[in-house]
Amino acid sequence: MTKGKKIGLIISILIVAGGLIYLGMGQFGQNLVYFFTPSEVVAFSPDYYGKKVRVGGLVVQGSVQIVPNSLKMKFTLTDGAAAIPVQFEGIPPDLFKEGKGAVVEGYWDAEKQFHSNMIMAKHSEDYMPIQMKQAGVQLPKKDFLKTLQQ
Amino acid sequence: MFIEIGHFAVVVALVLSVIGVIGPILGLKRNKPDWVRVARQAVTLNFFLISVGMAALIYSFLTNDFSVKYVMATSNSKLPIFYKVAGLWGGHEGSLMLWVWILTAFSTIVVWLHWRTQPAVMPYLISVQSVIMLGFLAMIVFLSNPFERLFPIPADGRDLNPLLQDPAMVVHPPMLYLGYVGFSIPFAFAMAALFSGRLGEEWIKVTQRWTLFAWIALTTGILMGGYWAYYELGWGGYWGWDPVENASFMPWLVGTAFLHSVMVQEKRKMFKVWNLFLIIVTFSLSLIGTFLVRSGVLSSVHTFATDPGRGLYILIFLALMMSLGFGTLIVRSGRLKSQIEMDSIISKESVFLFNNLFFLVAAVTVFLGTLYPLLVETLKTAKVSVGPPYYNAVFMPVALGLLLLMGIGPSIAWRKASLENLKKNFLLPILIALVGTAAAWLIGIRTVFGLAGAMIVSFVTTTIVMDFAKGSTLWARRYEFNYFKAFYEAFTNNQRRYAGQITHIGVLVMVVGIIASTIYQTEKVVPMRIGDAIQLKAYTIKMVGLQEVTGPNWTAQEGLFEVYRDGRFVTQLLPQKRIYTASQTPTTESAIHTVNLGHIFLTMPEVGPDGVTVRALINPLVLLVWIGGGIMGLGVFLNIFRSRSKASL
Repeated sequence: MTKGKKIGLIISILIVAGGLIYLGMGQFGQNLVYFFTPSEVVAFSPDYYGKKVRVGGLVVQGSVQIVPNSLKMKFTLTDGAAAIPVQFEGIPPDLFKEGKGAVVEGYWDAEKQFHSNMIMAKHSEDYMPIQMKQAGVQLPKKDFLKTLQQ
Repeated sequence: MFIEIGHFAVVVALVLSVIGVIGPILGLKRNKPDWVRVARQAVTLNFFLISVGMAALIYSFLTNDFSVKYVMATSNSKLPIFYKVAGLWGGHEGSLMLWVWILTAFSTIVVWLHWRTQPAVMPYLISVQSVIMLGFLAMIVFLSNPFERLFPIPADGRDLNPLLQDPAMVVHPPMLYLGYVGFSIPFAFAMAALFSGRLGEEWIKVTQRWTLFAWIALTTGILMGGYWAYYELGWGGYWGWDPVENASFMPWLVGTAFLHSVMVQEKRKMFKVWNLFLIIVTFSLSLIGTFLVRSGVLSSVHTFATDPGRGLYILIFLALMMSLGFGTLIVRSGRLKSQIEMDSIISKESVFLFNNLFFLVAAVTVFLGTLYPLLVETLKTAKVSVGPPYYNAVFMPVALGLLLLMGIGPSIAWRKASLENLKKNFLLPILIALVGTAAAWLIGIRTVFGLAGAMIVSFVTTTIVMDFAKGSTLWARRYEFNYFKAFYEAFTNNQRRYAGQITHIGVLVMVVGIIASTIYQTEKVVPMRIGDAIQLKAYTIKMVGLQEVTGPNWTAQEGLFEVYRDGRFVTQLLPQKRIYTASQTPTTESAIHTVNLGHIFLTMPEVGPDGVTVRALINPLVLLVWIGGGIMGLGVFLNIFRSRSKASL
C-alpha cells in the first residue's frame, strides 16, 4: 500500500468513527436523566423546571387518587423529609402500591407539581410471603432509598 | 444431608482447580508430563464434583428443603416443579453454579478432544481454564454460597420472582451462559497461544467451531430474552436498552467482530494482534455481563438482593483476568508483527476492517451508556440514567452501515478489487436497490430509516442471491448437472461460505422485522368496561367479560376480549392480571394473536372496580425478528457441521 492510500484509509476510518462518536456524544448529553429525592426536588431552582428527571420515594398511604375513566391519577411521593404531588398519566407498573417505593420520571414545574408518564417500581429487599412475616422472620433491611435507586 | 455433600464437593473442586492451575506450569518447568495429566484429571473430576453440587441443590429444591437459605429465597412449596428446577438459576448464587458447571463441562470436553492434537498448548489451556474455574469457585464458596443453611427453618419459601415464572426461564439463562462460557474456549486457546509462542493461525482454526457455537448460543439467549420480555413485561417491545440487555449485547457485538476478523487472519495472515485483543475483550465482557446481571449493581427486572462485598471481589477478579490477558498480549506483541500489508482500500480486507470498526463503535456506545451511570454514582454520588434515544441515534447508522458491508464483503475480492470485479458483482444489486427504494416509496413508506432500510435490504438480498446463483451456474455448466444438484454441489463444496450467507439472510429477515415493527407499530392505551369496543387499524376489539381464574400458585382476573375485522370474528383474547399467592405480587399476562407474521397484542395492566385499563398493540411483521434468528441459527448449524473433507472457501 502506498503512503497516499494509507493516509486515505486512515482518513476514512477517522471520518466514519468520528461521525459516529460525534452523533453518540451529541445524544449522550441530551439523554442523561438525573435522579433526585423529593427533598431535592422541592428545593429546585427555576433552572430545573421542565427538565426531565427521575425522583424516587415512598408512595404515601392513602394519597393515590384515580381519575375514573381515564389513565390519570395523583399521588404523593415522600422521602420522609419532604413530599411532592405527582400528576401521572399512563400505566403504573404491577408493583406500584401505596406505602411502597417507586421511581417516577417526568418534570417539576413552577406550580410545584410533578408531571410524569412513567413510573418504575421495584421489589424491595423485604419482599417476603405473609406466612413468614407472621412467623416473625426478619430479614435485614437495607437503606430504603438505596435499594430503590438500584 | 445431600446439601452438605454438595457443599463438600464444591469445596473439593475449589482445591482441585488450584491443582489445575499450578500442575501444568510446574509440569512444563520441571519437564514432568505426568503433572499435566494430573491437572487434566482434576479438570475432569471437577465436572463430576460440580455436577454433584448441582444435583444436591436440585434435590433440595424438589424436596422443598427451606432450611437451605437459597432454596428459601427462590422457591416455594406451591411453585410448579418445572420452575423449581429453573429456580436453581433464579438468583445470584445458583447462577454462578450454573456458570461454573457449564465451564467444567466445556473444559472437560476441550481437554479430552484436543489432548492428542494440541499437546504443545494443552498445559497452558488447562491452566487458563482452571484459573477461571478457581475464580468462580472461590466466589461461590466464600461469598455466594448456595449451600448455606438457615435457622430457624422457615415454614415456606419466598417464592421465585413471579416475572421469572415462565417457560423461557428454563432455557434463556442457560443459553446466555453457554454463550458466555463458550467464549472462554477461544479465549483460553488465545492465551495458550500467547504463552506457548505458537502464534500462527492454529488457535483460530481449532476454535473456529467453538466460537461459532458460543456466538449462536449467545444470539439465541439474547433473542429469547427479547421474546420473553416482549410477552411478559407487556409494553409491546422486545428491546429497551435495559442495562441487563446491554450486558449481554456487549460481548455479542465484540464477539461478532471477532468472528469476522479471524477470517482475515486465516486467509491473509493479518490482524494478528487485533484478533487476540478482540477475544480477550469478548471474554472480559462476558464476565462483566455475568456479574452485572446478578450482582445487583444495575437496575433491572433481573436484579434483586445486593451485597457490596461481592462487588469488590468481582472487580478484583475482573482486573486480574484482564491484566492477565492484555498484559501477556502486550509482552508478546513484538512477535506478532504481521508481514503483510493491506493492498488497497477497495478490498475484502478493508470491508472487514470497517465491519470491526462499526461493531466496536457500537460496543463502546453500549458500554458508555451502561457503565457511565455507575461511574457517576461512584464519583459524584449522583444518580443518573441514559435514555434509549442515545442508543438509537448511534445504532441506526451503525446497523445500516453493517448491513451494507454485509452485501459488499462476501462478494468483493481480496487484496484489490478491480473495476471489473466491482461492476460484475455490484452493478445489478445497485440497480435493484434503486428499484427496491422506489417500490418502498410507492407502497407508502416515507421515513428515512424505512427507505434506507428498503434500499440496503434489496441491495444485500441481490448480492446474496447472485452469489448462490453464480456458484450453482458454475457447477451446472461444468458437469451438466441440473440446477438442484448444481446448487447442492456448490453449497456443500463451499459450505462455510454459503452457510455464512444463510446467516446473513437471517440477519436481513430480522432487520425487516425490526424496521416494520418499530415504525409501523400502532398502540392504544384506554380505560374500558364490559361492553366497550375500541378500533385499532382494521380491527375492532370488544370487551365481553371479566372472570376469576386460579392457577397452581396464583389467582387472576381474566379479561375476555373478542377481535373482529370488518364485522367478522377473528379471535378471542384472554389477558390476565395475576396475583402470586406467596409473595402477593401482581403481574400482567399478555394475550397475543398472530396474523400474517404480525401480532395483535393485548394486556390489561389494571383492573379496578369501575373498569380496566387496556393496552392494545398491532406489531406488524414482528415475528420476523425471531424467524430471522432461526435462519441465523440454521446458517451457523450448517457451518459448524460442515464436512471436513471438502475444501473450505
